[in-house]
Amino acid sequence: MKKLITGLTLAATMAAGAAFAADYPEKAVTLVIPYGPGGASDLAGRALSESAKPYLGQPVTVVNKPGAGGMNGARFVTESDADGYTLLLARVGMALTPAVNPQASVDWDAYTFVGALEATPMILAVKSDAPYETVKDLTDAVTESGGRMAYAASGATSIDGFTVQTLLSDAGLDPLTAATLVPYKGGGALATALLGGHVDFLAISAGSLMPHIESGDMKALMVFAPSRMDNLPDVPTASELGYEQAGQVTGWSALYAPKDLPADVVAKWQGVLEQVATDETWLTLAERRGSISTVGSIDMPAYAKAQYELFNGLAKKFGYIPE
Amino acid sequence: MTKSLFRGILITVLFAFVAFVLIPIYVPRPAFIPGFAPPPDMWPRVISIIGMGLGLVAFCLTLLGKGEAEDPAPKSDGAPTKTLILRAFGAAAAFAGFIVILPIVGFAIGAMLLTGVCILLTGERGHVIWAVAISVLGPLALTFFFQKALGTQFPQGVLGPVIGL
Amino acid sequence: MLNDILMALQAVATLENLLIMIAGIWGGVIIGAIPGMTGTMAVTLALPFTFYMDPVPSILMLVALYKGSTYGGSVSAILIKTPGTASAACTALDGYPLAQQGKAGKALNMALYSSVTGDFISNLSLIFLAAPLAILALRVGPPEYFMLMLFALTTVAGVSGNSLLLGLVSAAMGLLLATAGEDIYGSFRFAFTEDMQAGLSVAPVLIGLFALPELIKMIVMRAAPDNETAKLGDQKVSRAEFMRSFKSILRGSSIGVIMGAIPGIGPSAAAFFSYGEAQRSSKNGKNFGKGELEGIAASESANNGACGATMIPLLALGVPGDVITGVMLGAFMIQGLTPGPLLFQTNIHEIYMLFIGMLFSSVLLFGAGKLTMRMFSYVAHIPQTLLTPTVLLLCLFGIYSISSSMFDVTVLLIMGCVGFGMFLLNIPAAPFLIAFILGPMIEDNLRRALAISRGEPGILLSSPITWVFAALIIFVVTLTVRREIHKAKERKGEVA
Repeated sequence: MKKLITGLTLAATMAAGAAFAADYPEKAVTLVIPYGPGGASDLAGRALSESAKPYLGQPVTVVNKPGAGGMNGARFVTESDADGYTLLLARVGMALTPAVNPQASVDWDAYTFVGALEATPMILAVKSDAPYETVKDLTDAVTESGGRMAYAASGATSIDGFTVQTLLSDAGLDPLTAATLVPYKGGGALATALLGGHVDFLAISAGSLMPHIESGDMKALMVFAPSRMDNLPDVPTASELGYEQAGQVTGWSALYAPKDLPADVVAKWQGVLEQVATDETWLTLAERRGSISTVGSIDMPAYAKAQYELFNGLAKKFGYIPE
Repeated sequence: MTKSLFRGILITVLFAFVAFVLIPIYVPRPAFIPGFAPPPDMWPRVISIIGMGLGLVAFCLTLLGKGEAEDPAPKSDGAPTKTLILRAFGAAAAFAGFIVILPIVGFAIGAMLLTGVCILLTGERGHVIWAVAISVLGPLALTFFFQKALGTQFPQGVLGPVIGL
Repeated sequence: MLNDILMALQAVATLENLLIMIAGIWGGVIIGAIPGMTGTMAVTLALPFTFYMDPVPSILMLVALYKGSTYGGSVSAILIKTPGTASAACTALDGYPLAQQGKAGKALNMALYSSVTGDFISNLSLIFLAAPLAILALRVGPPEYFMLMLFALTTVAGVSGNSLLLGLVSAAMGLLLATAGEDIYGSFRFAFTEDMQAGLSVAPVLIGLFALPELIKMIVMRAAPDNETAKLGDQKVSRAEFMRSFKSILRGSSIGVIMGAIPGIGPSAAAFFSYGEAQRSSKNGKNFGKGELEGIAASESANNGACGATMIPLLALGVPGDVITGVMLGAFMIQGLTPGPLLFQTNIHEIYMLFIGMLFSSVLLFGAGKLTMRMFSYVAHIPQTLLTPTVLLLCLFGIYSISSSMFDVTVLLIMGCVGFGMFLLNIPAAPFLIAFILGPMIEDNLRRALAISRGEPGILLSSPITWVFAALIIFVVTLTVRREIHKAKERKGEVA
């Protein structure tokens, strides 16, 4: 309770102090999270909302608008006024979905890119009693099984589907038929499927798997991230193992806004993000989620474009969309 | 035509429409699914065909006179059927009107109008003060509550900013 | 160990924690009782507060909100025939008829007693049976899940009212509507507009189908129902009445606990399951749907019985079973605690505190329920001509604010008209809702099971759990068909 009161007072004083700084923001800012509550993106959004409040001088209200691979929330934001009061917690899905699904309602570049937030590594895991110690063991077993081995993912063309499919493709297997995809919704359900032994392996976001790896119920074979994870120093990355396509797949969050956001609003938010980058709350919360803060270290428009092209290329190669 | 006969036909037609018109158009087969996993149209197709069957059974049972006894008509205030139909259209029009005028007047005023119209449509003429309080103060209080407590941003419409709502 | 427990008791029994729990429970009951506001909404909104609170109080607050809102749904289900949460849909079937007979107080009390009993049993199971239940829950894979939910769907036969045929039609409509939107493989079905790509949410469909038809009826028929709810009085549930329903309460609580422990099922399916089960096995089965206290007992004990149990997979395995426990997992992580088997080794002090707090909260639920009942009893004095438009107003704001979506509001209004149409054609609404909620669980798990078995249907009967439920399904279907034939013969007899 004491912490609560201190936090609130702190926020209140900061808000009062920042009020004269600029006209924007005059009221609460809505941050749309295009996925359901409780997941990795929701936690990232709520962490940002809490960390940004004192620097922004106004509360940041979080709204979950899940559905259609993140496109439902994204569309809501792109159709909102570009006044800086409706922002989007973008995920890799904002670049991936339009790249792989012609029916997607929002293109990858239909936004103002405010800035990058975090990288969220993905982990390739099997049950701890499985007879595979390395990725090679696993891919060999997949080859031998003739397609009978199953992996869990959020959908064929979702990010955690692509993690496995790029790995299979890199290992010289058919990404679509070498192993069987079993779709589940949400990180919790995916992890349960592996824990219960209903699927053989999966490669999903670190946040949903770390507890089970720490408790010894699952084994991490590989991480999908630019560098090794602090918590798993012995687990190699996909690039280290020479998996070229898999090495480029990873999760991330960024802050997007409707197109043509006024320059002063963008500047205001970039200032806020700069302060958030060193904010203790933000960094602690990021660490607990198993993600790495990337605020200010990535050129977002270029990165989003590269991601779009990566997944578009993969979707064509794998046969999800015509060449 | 009796009600249960009409009901049987309506159910059959509804499910047939889904099975033979909507599913072929609106349930596309994805570019790739594993051959053995049931495609997206399997389940809706099965359900709508079962539904069609149920509708036909209802229809035939009525024709054969084996259907259930006609249910009593819902109790009303005794107004002629024409008035009843008119009132039903009134309710539907009020709902549709709310959606249509919302982009102009915003959520709060839209809700005021809809609530007010609904109170009038229920035939309430007695509790004037209560009726006004519910339809005017209600939306104001709810807007205030949701904005303050939950931070919900309601659509303001074109008119909203002008009058400060 | 005793020492540990005493220390935990001391740590948790502070005025501050008590106030937090009271606020959580009572807030939850009120939010649950208001049509259009849901428990998920309450828990999500409270999440940011937990950033500044100690771990145990913050989890206790979220649990309290969850339990409170699950019970609160029954208040509006009984008083205005509008379940505040989907899990109270079956409560409305018996609760509202009781209210019309002037026994609203009795119904509300029964709902409260069974909720509290269910809640208490659920807490005890969490404390003593978490590990075995979690292991059982993990065994429930797609084939078991499919059979279990298919069996739950047989409840439809019990909530169909006079005509099983029309109940099945209603269920088929619900199953069909639930397929709209993105399927598990990621393709869009019935996406007429871009909004439809996300599918329809439960809240607008539930409220539209149950609350709005009452308003439209009022507008069109203008016949006030024989409403004697005003006589809430202090109609106590007598000892005899409680004992008569006691078996259903115990059975409902157990169903709630088991269903709650399986990730992804949740209170709604548990309540439907229990209602159907009680109707089949109770001596009073024939009165279900006409104002039978036992029906309320079955439904309410199961939905609250599931609440505490949803914490089992969360605490024992570290996996959230539904949206609400998903939010709780987030709260744990923010606090630097990782739920799962390790938590019992590293943070046993916090675990004990949590358990003691949850036991407290059962008592608080009782108090909050009694108080809220009094507050809401005044609802009965409002004339229907003003009450139904007010409910519409609350629903408009509540539904909009769930995800700031005008599409949801549109769905709400359209479902209201659909619900009225169904009323005119004597098609019951409850099977629609039950099928709408269970449908995706059935279809998704069927598709998963067949993907795992590579198209081999034998997987659906590959384990003892599936055999048991397959046998139960056959039993119930046979029973229902025989009853229908019997009914048909009786009717013939009447004619002749």
